[in-house]
Amino acid sequence: MAIPKAQRWLLVALVLSGAASAVSGSIDPYFLDVVMGVGVGVVLASSLNLINGFTGQFSLGHAGFMAVGAYTSAMLSTVVAPRMGWGAGALQWVFFPASLVAGGLVAALAGLAVGAPSLRLKGDYLAIVTLGFGEIIRVVLQNVDAVGGARGLTGVPTHTNLLWTFGTASLTVYTVWALLESTRGRGFLAVADDEVAAEAMGLDTTRYKITAFGIGSFFAGVAGGLYAHLKGYLNPGGFSFEKSIEIVVMVILGGMGRHAGVVFAAILLTLLPEGLRELGSRSIPNPFGGPAWSLDWIKDARMILYSLLLILLMLLRPEGLFHRRQPRRPSS
Amino acid sequence: MSASASLLQLTGVTIRFGGLTAVSSVTADVREGELAGLIGPNGAGKTTLFNLITGVYQPTDGRIDFAGSGTAGRRPFHLTGLGIARTFQNIRLFPSLSVAENVRVAFHRHLRHRAWHSILRGRAFLAEEAELAERALELLGIFNLERFRDAPARSLSYGDQRRLEIVRALATRPRLLLLDEPAAGMNPSEKDELMRLIRFVRDRFGLAVLLVEHDMKVVMGICERIHVLEYGRKIAEGSPAEIRADPKVIAAYLGD
Amino acid sequence: MTEFLQQLLNGVLLGAIYALIALGYTMVYGVLRFINFAHSDVFMLGAFAAWVSVEKLGLPTRSVPGGLAALLAAMSVCAVLGVVIERLAYRPLRQRSTLTVLITAIGVSLLIQNVAQSPRLGFGPNPRAFPELFPSSQLHVGGLTVSTHQLVVLAVALVLLAVLYWIVHRTRIGTAMRALSFNATAASLVGIDNDRVISFTFGLGSALAGAGGVLYAMNYPSIDPLMGTLPGLKAFVAAVLGGIGNLPGAALGGLVIGLVETFVSGTRLSTFRDAIAFGILIAILLFRPAGLLGRPRVEKV
Ligand SMILES: Nc1ncnc2c1ncn2[C@@H]1O[C@H](COP(=O)(O)OP(=O)(O)OP(=O)(O)O)[C@@H](O)[C@H]1O
Ligand SMILES: [Mg+2]
Repeated sequence: MAIPKAQRWLLVALVLSGAASAVSGSIDPYFLDVVMGVGVGVVLASSLNLINGFTGQFSLGHAGFMAVGAYTSAMLSTVVAPRMGWGAGALQWVFFPASLVAGGLVAALAGLAVGAPSLRLKGDYLAIVTLGFGEIIRVVLQNVDAVGGARGLTGVPTHTNLLWTFGTASLTVYTVWALLESTRGRGFLAVADDEVAAEAMGLDTTRYKITAFGIGSFFAGVAGGLYAHLKGYLNPGGFSFEKSIEIVVMVILGGMGRHAGVVFAAILLTLLPEGLRELGSRSIPNPFGGPAWSLDWIKDARMILYSLLLILLMLLRPEGLFHRRQPRRPSS
Repeated sequence: MSASASLLQLTGVTIRFGGLTAVSSVTADVREGELAGLIGPNGAGKTTLFNLITGVYQPTDGRIDFAGSGTAGRRPFHLTGLGIARTFQNIRLFPSLSVAENVRVAFHRHLRHRAWHSILRGRAFLAEEAELAERALELLGIFNLERFRDAPARSLSYGDQRRLEIVRALATRPRLLLLDEPAAGMNPSEKDELMRLIRFVRDRFGLAVLLVEHDMKVVMGICERIHVLEYGRKIAEGSPAEIRADPKVIAAYLGD
Repeated sequence: MTEFLQQLLNGVLLGAIYALIALGYTMVYGVLRFINFAHSDVFMLGAFAAWVSVEKLGLPTRSVPGGLAALLAAMSVCAVLGVVIERLAYRPLRQRSTLTVLITAIGVSLLIQNVAQSPRLGFGPNPRAFPELFPSSQLHVGGLTVSTHQLVVLAVALVLLAVLYWIVHRTRIGTAMRALSFNATAASLVGIDNDRVISFTFGLGSALAGAGGVLYAMNYPSIDPLMGTLPGLKAFVAAVLGGIGNLPGAALGGLVIGLVETFVSGTRLSTFRDAIAFGILIAILLFRPAGLLGRPRVEKV
């Protein structure tokens, strides 16, 4: 493998996240919120990239798995932790990551439950089934009073900070990268390229796909936990299939199965709406005198631009913005 | 097992697609270490037979035994693990992988490392990866492809892609190698080279080969025994000399 | 018993609407082998087209000619829209992968929804009351309550299904459609203009969706730009249930989904109503992926 000490990069990233976290007290809270949202976006996009990009599946249910993780870890923090007295002080530093992992594991189970039966399906069928599963998860959450039902779940402690978000983001990107960067891992790409040939070469394609679903959903679940403890409340409506599409668009824009491209796209697409919202609340002075020109319409046009961008991207550059039109770097 | 025992045994194998019987009650065998041929006019069912042997399709009727056990219900990857490898008539390399990666992926059944080893990236893992890279190069070397190792598989010439498919199949360490029209699109000198290589590979790795090929010079030149299909039925079996003289075969090829 | 019959009736009516939408999915899938995600938004625009023709263009309400005119207007608008969408967004992608087309379709769907939700360009995000297109009254037949609107739904759905059957089986273009969905290459070899047939299919499917939108809106008091999503997904499930690409299958699937949903609504599980369709979808794909009336295909290797 090209970088024998790949872990070094991971370490640097983790230390940087810690350092940033230590000084986060002096960062504007709104900005901090946006930045942490970026971290969550990176986790979501990179994990979906494993499923949709590298393994060539098409999941439209990522938000559903995110919801499972979010609710699991939020319930642990709001119900279990206070009862056991784990929510505060030093114990919080153990309990919170543990609850994130728990959320990830439950999401992974959900992912396996969805993946296993759906994997004989291809392309658009798989997309619809995963979409369906995502919606079922949402409908169920809306109907279970114990987790707040349609009103949502409030009072989630806001444990998420820069260390957790960027630590998780770095770990996710590293894991997906390292997994792929091996002879066994190249099998994911082979499965994406040609299932018949992959089976003929001895690859259990079903197992590859299920693994991708499991790992991808695990990280989606962890992202959900981060999100829950970032916002402090959860609302089932926030995990609708529009959210799944948003994550899919990150993966596509980043060039399906590109590590860095997808990270970059996740950053861009998380910042863009915030930027446009910010811009929309301003107005520019009228050079001819008279009332200032309001930029309010931008708020309105935001989603229209977004959908147009998606269509144009598919028509003009279906391989994504950051695709180099070159082969992937060989793994040895 | 003795050298003449059958490695692959087809007994009354039949498959129907809707109304069409693509392979009809075929009984045939391939012996350990044998270089066998399978010929027949277009649409005779040769590729379909390969798909049946490799588990891509399940026979409607009849049975297939490989190395003494039935293959019914087994998935293709499992049969590959048991020692059946193949190439495809319509080349199916992994286009997004490099030439060397195409070969390495096929080592899959013999890997020692697990998925999580690649995340920890310990010494044993890195050593195995280096060893695999080495082995891939070795195999590519046999077919003179090692200089393309980092090129994307799809950038190879047609003939090289066919050769790479053979290398990739060999990487699974088969006992039986199924080649579907490996000489298609090659010029005469490439065909001669290919014949030499097929013989070499058979001897070097001690495997049996079942070859589908339209070029009679190739088939007659290297096969020890030939099976002939027409409209899904087996119409003849024998040595190249016998097949050449068989009136049914001549009729099948010349049309009646 | 009357309760059961009443539910049965309601289920059939809802199912008829799903069937109209499902036919569009199935027809497009037949000729192009992809799921037209924007179909549900065409359905929504059908409802809005009728709304515009009454509220803005002054078609009379509560009148049979007025209602029919609004229905025809909605169908025409949707047909044109379907053809335009296909021409601009899907045709340039004819040779691309299914996923590229699927994502484009999602993009088109989002675009329509967002334009419709925009107060400046569209109708704004808030629900609007849907006018009474046809004279409305309740009829009581042996304990059952039937509104005239429900009768209109039934009549319109039956007429449209008959017309569709006639087009597909008795006209040249219908024959071409069937040929195309049987084998596209062969169809073009025998001189069928595939592009024209595909345009026609989109027009036809979208017109049915438009009609479905109007009928749906008639039985629900209000319409909004996101109203297409759920019925659209359910109709898609109906298409898969019947065997995607299979026209009678889509109609049958629509009926089944409509009935199941109506009967579930009457039970304690009613809040899970919207999840039921997906449960059905998953069950079919597991146990009978080709659908009720579809035939399994073997991939050629
Ligand atoms: N999945 C399938 N579904 C339907 N028919 C099939 C399928 N696979 C193969 N066939 C049919 O079976 C018959 C045999 O095809 P096959 O590809 O095995 O022929 P072949 O001997 O390999 O011919 P060629 O020399 O042209 O490669 C053909 O008529 C083909 O159309
Ligand atoms: Mg063949």
